[in-house]
Amino acid sequence: MSLGANSGTYLDQFPDEAKLIRATFYSSFAALFVGALMGLLQVLHRVDILRLIPSEDYYSYLTLHAVLLVLTFTIFFLVGVFTWGVTTSLDRGLEDLRYTWAWYGLMAGGSLLAGITIIGGFFDAIPLSAAVLYTFYAPLQAHPLFYVGLALFIVGSWFAGIDWFRSWWAWKRENPDERIPLPTFMALTTTLFWIISSLGVAISVVVFMIPWSLGLIDQVNALLTRTLFWFFGHAVVYFWLMPAYMLWYVMLPKISGGKLFSDPLARVVFVLFLILSTPTGIHHQYLDPGIAEGFKFIVMVNTMFLLLPSLLTAFTVVASMEHGARQRGGTGYFGWLRALPWRNPVFTGMALAGLMFAAAGFSGMINAGMNINYLVHNTWWVVGHFHLTVGTAVALTFMATTYWFLPQLTGKKIWNKSLGLAQVLLWFIGMTFMSNAMHRAGLAGIPRRTAEPQYSGFDFQPAAGSVAELNMQVVIGGTLLFISTLLFMLIVVMTVRGSKVDTLPANGYAETLSGPEDAPLVLDNLRLWAGIAIALVVLAYALPLASIIGRHGLFGPGGSPSPQFIDTVVFTGQAIFDSLVGVIR
Amino acid sequence: MSSKLRREIGHDEFDPKGTLALIAIYFVIISALWVFMYFVEFLGNDLTIVGTIL
Amino acid sequence: MNIHTYEKFWLAASMVLIVGFILTITYGTVGIGVAMVDDSGETINPENINDHPKFSSPGVEQVGENEYDVYIQVVQFAFLPTEVEVPAHSTVNIHLTSRDVIHSYSVVGTNANTMVIPGEVAEVTVNVDEPKEYGVICTEYCGSGHHNMEGKLNVVPEEEFEGDSQ
Repeated sequence: MSLGANSGTYLDQFPDEAKLIRATFYSSFAALFVGALMGLLQVLHRVDILRLIPSEDYYSYLTLHAVLLVLTFTIFFLVGVFTWGVTTSLDRGLEDLRYTWAWYGLMAGGSLLAGITIIGGFFDAIPLSAAVLYTFYAPLQAHPLFYVGLALFIVGSWFAGIDWFRSWWAWKRENPDERIPLPTFMALTTTLFWIISSLGVAISVVVFMIPWSLGLIDQVNALLTRTLFWFFGHAVVYFWLMPAYMLWYVMLPKISGGKLFSDPLARVVFVLFLILSTPTGIHHQYLDPGIAEGFKFIVMVNTMFLLLPSLLTAFTVVASMEHGARQRGGTGYFGWLRALPWRNPVFTGMALAGLMFAAAGFSGMINAGMNINYLVHNTWWVVGHFHLTVGTAVALTFMATTYWFLPQLTGKKIWNKSLGLAQVLLWFIGMTFMSNAMHRAGLAGIPRRTAEPQYSGFDFQPAAGSVAELNMQVVIGGTLLFISTLLFMLIVVMTVRGSKVDTLPANGYAETLSGPEDAPLVLDNLRLWAGIAIALVVLAYALPLASIIGRHGLFGPGGSPSPQFIDTVVFTGQAIFDSLVGVIR
Repeated sequence: MSSKLRREIGHDEFDPKGTLALIAIYFVIISALWVFMYFVEFLGNDLTIVGTIL
Repeated sequence: MNIHTYEKFWLAASMVLIVGFILTITYGTVGIGVAMVDDSGETINPENINDHPKFSSPGVEQVGENEYDVYIQVVQFAFLPTEVEVPAHSTVNIHLTSRDVIHSYSVVGTNANTMVIPGEVAEVTVNVDEPKEYGVICTEYCGSGHHNMEGKLNVVPEEEFEGDSQ
């Protein structure tokens, strides 16, 4: 289907899929806006500039902020990006659009359910709450619909992954001798480790949390459910990161004016993430009693090796940019940097996101260090770290590439490119202030996840500067980030409201200097890598889980639920259960 | 946005020395920061946990 | 597979970094003797903490010439006892458990930091040096009063230490 002179955008090629991706992106942006608003309110509350609600309710801000940003915003965006990648690289629409819209519906419905239960926590009149934070550690307890919402959302994302597999299988039948195109390869490997890793939290939620919050079981084993969460909780960061990496590998080189330095190495990186991302979860539990030091040490070794694919990515991505810069006329050891297209917000946003990710490597290596973790665990250092990673490497890449995707999906030009450039720069500057202050605050022992880091019995003593100065930097940074978010929303809305044009570039992605033909065939053997991934997960988790279950059994004792959710549902649930049991007896 | 393509550089002619330079700097910074963080910030701090009761 | 020479350098350098990190941590463990909180503590039923011989009367107890055991119950939203006093230049074994949800015991400005999980006893040993007053906070979100949860760990000159406390 062609639209006159402009017959090459994604919208031209795949109008139905474009509609789906628009839906996923708009859902993602709605979550981004509310989540970012929560972030601003949190910052103002913590430093005691503006406390709109009592501190007891702050934890609903925090739960909403995290769930909307790291689950809804990121995952809706990435399922859109991978759908683009798969359909574009296979040059083939999705197999069954009703199936596709069904998974979108599951994700949207799940998000709404979870979101509503969290928001209920702000209002005493509403008998719903989920002030349990993104990690929902038992025996803290949320309303059952919170867990149901999360489960639906995750299952929806599994179905999205299976959608891409369906496309690949159909394409493979018609192209039996061809290598898997790189974007599709990336979507498939990501789907595999996503399903493997989210099994942990799925079991925790479906087998334990939902029945427990309904009153069907008395207790859950707190350490067990916490460990099942982190089985998922580390790998999920790669679920967010892989689409960003894909964009750095297949879009950034082209925007830089060059080609991807190495397709084979990109495949190696994604295979490494598939096999290594899950057997590292216990590094979030270095300070947990009930888990032997030997297991923690093994996990540390796995985690340190997991640095490798990211370090390799740094080389390949920078080399690809350098290729573009030199093709544009850049020279010298460093002068070539100036030849890059810095006026293009798509480029600048991704480049700054990558730069910030390199800084995140520093705080990440500290987090990964088994014993040095004592210094930073549960302090604001950790929060500074993940605002660099998911908060910038991922979020800023997503926003920057939106300036390329939105025209492709709507047929309209970006409303104001200069504002887009300002938006990405503001994000980078704001995050520099905020994250830097968070790291320094963490080293002074200032905690994360608290409404009021002001205590009566002692003072925090930063090694350099003062608490007041750190607070000021966080407020400045947080405010700039919120302004950047507003700008982003404005540009998106004004672009969508604009009129269609004929002058957009064709859909496509970067070519390679070293292509798939140079990649050993074994890299495309997804079954092999999935098998190894599962084996490594079993090796890493069988003994620790057996030990944890051995200490207290599957169901506790884990302490009594806190808070107990609404009595009427307990009563109803118990009544239904009792009557069923009565019937069976 | 059009890229100002001045010349084409093929696989064999491309010498990513800029990347090598940047990555070498990164290596030095990361190594120095690791040593500082571990030996000064961590080991130099109070109340390091040294044992569990046997 | 074509790997560019420079990328081979970087691969080697990356491995140096990774192995270097692992070796440093290992040195901390075997060289300096830093120990992780682990599973050597007993398991306990959070509902029966007050039947436990030690946790039922939490506090400080001398167990050796320069060695003290401290038992602390951690609850929403306090450490029991809230203020703990130990003498300077001694070895202190801290035993912690939770009566309700997951908490932490984090001595501000130090490396003494542990999770406290209902059903588990966390045991950590530190050597205290010069007299100093440390703040202690809970850094694991534990409910609506989490931000009010604080305590003290006071290291006092040996002459001032009053002996076993309840």
